[in-house]
Amino acid sequence: MQPMQLFDLAFRQNEWLAQRQSVISSNIANANTPGYKAKDIQSFDDAMRSSAPMAVTNQNHIASSGFETVRDQDDGSGQAEVLVSGNDVNLEQEFLKSNDVMRSYTLNTQIMKTFNSMLLSVTKG
Amino acid sequence: MTDPLIAAAKAASNGLFAQSTRMKVVSENIANAETTGKTAGSDPYRRKTVSFEAVTDEAEGVDLVQVGDIGRDEAAFRTEYMPGHPAADAKGYVKMPNVDMLTELADMREASRSYTANTQVIKQVREIVSMTIDLLRSSS
Repeated sequence: MQPMQLFDLAFRQNEWLAQRQSVISSNIANANTPGYKAKDIQSFDDAMRSSAPMAVTNQNHIASSGFETVRDQDDGSGQAEVLVSGNDVNLEQEFLKSNDVMRSYTLNTQIMKTFNSMLLSVTKG
Repeated sequence: MTDPLIAAAKAASNGLFAQSTRMKVVSENIANAETTGKTAGSDPYRRKTVSFEAVTDEAEGVDLVQVGDIGRDEAAFRTEYMPGHPAADAKGYVKMPNVDMLTELADMREASRSYTANTQVIKQVREIVSMTIDLLRSSS
């Protein structure tokens, strides 16, 4: 069913965004830790592609869950500043990413809300 | 694994704790910037230093920040000529603490900036969570 799939997709992206937020938050928490390298998780496209649900042929199989691929790398662009302590967290960039997460999350929840009210208006008549 | 948003809040609150410990050390240093020894030729207050380290929380899957050890700055003391001072040596020089106000103030600025950054993260996490809860509220 179409709208249900949309809920699923929106939910999965929210899950991914939450994961990203937790990575951003540990970057910011470690902004003054010597030798810490900023991390990021793989993009949503890649995560969706790689986490295609595994076939469950036996009920004892564990379903694949979530995106746990926290890539241990700095996220490339604009990460020119590496301090003497070996720390390359750029607070401005982390906030930029965090705002990105915020915006997408708002968009997703708004879409979910809208679809929910559409479904409700159909079921209630 | 628990909820990543909870983990995010946990990392941020850990950051808050680390930065406030740093603030505490800075304030100790500033408060003791003029603390000399009591007896002739004795050592004055030695500046404290604080270091952070990243600790991976396996259960939550986030890198938390932890206060490493609070060490002592081994830099040389500056001396001042004060013959009447109880801590003055034979030549009349008193060893003063190796605290540099400018360094301490810079450290304090950085600590408060990082503290603000962490509170900002907590705010955003809270907003995200309440947006999710609002999904239920709107269905009337």
